[in-house]
Amino acid sequence: MRSADRIAGAALLAAAVAFSVGALKYYTYWGPTGPGSGFLPFWLGIVLAVLAGFLLVSALGSRDAGASWLPQGEGLKRLVVVLAVTTAFVALLQVVGMMLGTVLFLVALLRFLEGYRWVVTLGVAVAMAAVNYLVFTYWLRVPFPVSLLGF
Amino acid sequence: MDILSNLVMGFSVALTPFNLFMAMAGVSIGTLIGALPGVGPVSGVALLLPLTFGMDPTSGIIMLAALYAGSMYGGTITSVLINTPGESASVVTCIDGYQMALQGRAGPALGVATIGSFIAGTFGIVLLMVMSPALARWALSFGPPETFALMLLGLTTVTGLTGENAVKGYISMVLGLMLAMVGFDIISGDARYAFGIPEMMDGVDFLPVAIGLFGMGEVLAGAEDANDMRILTGRYGLRDVMLSASDWARSRWAIVRGTVLGFFIGVLPGAGPTIATFLSYSLEKKVSRHPEQFGKGAIEGVAGPESANNAASAGAMVPMLTLGIPGSATTAVMLGGLMMWGLRPGPLLFEKNPQFVWGLIASQYIANVMLLILNIAFIPMFVRALRIPYNILMPLIIIFCITGAYSQKNSVWDVGQMLVFGVAGYAMKKLGYSPAAMTLALVLGPLAERALRQSLILSDAGLGIFFLRPIAAVLTVAALAAAAVPAARALWAAFSGVRPVVVPESDD
Repeated sequence: MRSADRIAGAALLAAAVAFSVGALKYYTYWGPTGPGSGFLPFWLGIVLAVLAGFLLVSALGSRDAGASWLPQGEGLKRLVVVLAVTTAFVALLQVVGMMLGTVLFLVALLRFLEGYRWVVTLGVAVAMAAVNYLVFTYWLRVPFPVSLLGF
Repeated sequence: MDILSNLVMGFSVALTPFNLFMAMAGVSIGTLIGALPGVGPVSGVALLLPLTFGMDPTSGIIMLAALYAGSMYGGTITSVLINTPGESASVVTCIDGYQMALQGRAGPALGVATIGSFIAGTFGIVLLMVMSPALARWALSFGPPETFALMLLGLTTVTGLTGENAVKGYISMVLGLMLAMVGFDIISGDARYAFGIPEMMDGVDFLPVAIGLFGMGEVLAGAEDANDMRILTGRYGLRDVMLSASDWARSRWAIVRGTVLGFFIGVLPGAGPTIATFLSYSLEKKVSRHPEQFGKGAIEGVAGPESANNAASAGAMVPMLTLGIPGSATTAVMLGGLMMWGLRPGPLLFEKNPQFVWGLIASQYIANVMLLILNIAFIPMFVRALRIPYNILMPLIIIFCITGAYSQKNSVWDVGQMLVFGVAGYAMKKLGYSPAAMTLALVLGPLAERALRQSLILSDAGLGIFFLRPIAAVLTVAALAAAAVPAARALWAAFSGVRPVVVPESDD
């Protein structure tokens, strides 16, 4: 946790300074009628800078390394796979469409990550796609992206 | 009788078949979400919010409020049977509830929680109904300084009272306020911090953030381990959950104390059910004649907190409905919903949308009756649902996150935003930051900024305006005092050597 706090403290400090500088540079701190669009952002940056400085100083002074916040081994692998498959689904949403995408997404996770049998995997995947269709497309009339295949 | 005629009108709204169906759906899904570890009431409300866009707002709020109440009932089941809290407001229930289950007394533990929840939930709505109109009338006199001071109070209480590290809590809050600054400033027309991206000029949308932080973030946190939970087996039929005379004698005053304490903690802006349960547990331990039994299966240790969280969830709706300030993370998401439905939260809600407010109040009475029946007769059904492996549930929740984020504006940008905040939510949770404080700040940010700027125009740039008007002064001082609580606690711990009890980051 110590090194994570140091990195976070430094990054937040930099972000806070940039936020305040941006507020003064691009927006009005005080207009003819009163506080302008840069007023609160400027002060938020100052407050964040103080807080981040506090975090940074206490992390630099800490001797206790603490536990790692990222999981190790198997846990990390699972996290990365879930995140990667989800990101791929979102990135390809316009191409594969919501229904086909849902099925492919669930097959990827249930069959290849969790190792469920094909029967279970396809059962869950098709049922979920059907629920999705009924609730969002049929009932709420949300125009989901469709694949080139038309669903 | 003003309240009575309003209530009759409310029931005429709540008793329409569709609204009854929405209440039923809300309590069932709520109980399930409360029972499932990893998804709490905030995630539930955030995930179901997209379903309500096509509906009348009254039906929408009826479902979400019923879900909120239901999750407070459902969390108990997991705490008692698995020793894992279903949501943060059931953390303390694990202590004595699980001990009771180990002693073969899971039935009475679930029974007393249900009965306590019913009494507290119903009484909480009575208090809400009596108190809210008066509070709303009083709040009508609020000017910008009072409004700003009140929002400051909400922000400092939610940040100061929970979480391990107060500095990180405040960092989360300021980051939330910064996100709220993004997009068009209504006064000057500046597109702040948008970097020329059209989607960002409209501001950081609240719904994808909430779904990301609480839905996706929670799922990612659970994705690391593929553990299976061990459920204690037992009998939870109708006869098993009935209380014996001695159980009832021991728990009835705990229920009463939990109800009163919980409601008023809930009303405090920013302090929700989780804090109420911790306070109720320590109160019960203090007043008990046999404090040594606590931690070894004392029924009061279940009755008090389980009543307190239901009363608090009702109480948390009071500031949301009357002042436009959420009393907990879940009501913050509901408040975001109110704005998306085009309602203006605040004291005028009672005058301008009586059907909405009174329909909601009436439906909460109905929801509590539904929950009493559901949680006495159908516990075995919910226990069976707990057997669904988490690694099947997890991808399904991700699908809901994606469809929910997409459906508000049919926008893939929003889905991407949800995913980014999902990763952020995961990291924040792991590193000890507070997604709840960030969400609250994002919702309150624009309103707080407007109130601040108007106040400073009124005062000609002087900060004295927040201290010279009586109501504003009380609220400002209270906000500053709440901000000082973490520092005071740290000092106390340093001098006395006693580590204070830390209320966990809440998902209520």
